[in-house]
Amino acid sequence: MSLPDVGDPRTVRVDTFLPYPPARVWRALTDPELLARWFLPCDFRLEVGHRFTLATEPRPNVRFAGVSHCEVLEFEVERMLRFGWHDPGEDNGLDSTVTWRLEPEGTGTRLFLEHDGFDPDNPYQAMSRRIMGGPNGWNGVLARLAGALA
Amino acid sequence: MTAAVDDVFAALASPVRRELLRLLLDGERTVNDLAAHFAMARPSVSEHLRVLRETGLVAETRHGRERRYRLEPGPLMGLADWLHPYERFWRRKLADLRTVLDEEDDA
Repeated sequence: MSLPDVGDPRTVRVDTFLPYPPARVWRALTDPELLARWFLPCDFRLEVGHRFTLATEPRPNVRFAGVSHCEVLEFEVERMLRFGWHDPGEDNGLDSTVTWRLEPEGTGTRLFLEHDGFDPDNPYQAMSRRIMGGPNGWNGVLARLAGALA
Repeated sequence: MTAAVDDVFAALASPVRRELLRLLLDGERTVNDLAAHFAMARPSVSEHLRVLRETGLVAETRHGRERRYRLEPGPLMGLADWLHPYERFWRRKLADLRTVLDEEDDA
């Protein structure tokens, strides 16, 4: 079990190993039919500037308008894909960037996800910083807890 | 904000209670053992433990006349989830991606 990286409130970083070559993983990240099966139904097309929409799932602590507007920003076949993710929300919309990075690892692929652009000043982030800064604060406790649960 | 998250924040707002949680990271401890780390009187330490218990951050077990406390990770994990709502979303998506690749492989 691992805990979220609470070090940088603006970014979510997750990575995983997939026992498939980058070409296979790349296809799953860019083929609309495959995307619909694991990510979200969307009209994705691999083309810089292409705009597509995502029907998003409600999460209680982010206000969702239900539809997110995305745009392909940059890609390098089988290595990197970046798209903008704009969630209009009601009064706390999200302007963020999602970056996939693929690195060959053995006969498989290490897939890195970085979701950047969260508001470090939302009430939770602000409160956690105020209360839990310092060496014995939130980060210290969470890091130790993550170690204990690993 | 939900009451549960507010309660956890309130519980963590005290340096004494954070220190208690830190001590419990190493494992279960008795009240006496915990109290020995603080200059304050034992009833004050017990009061802080009560707050942690009521928030669900620690659990108490009795062994004869002795009370022992242990850390309960749930509320902290829940709070982390609130701080990073997308974290769980992406972990779930990555798990689904793995499943789809496995299915493709079998096909």
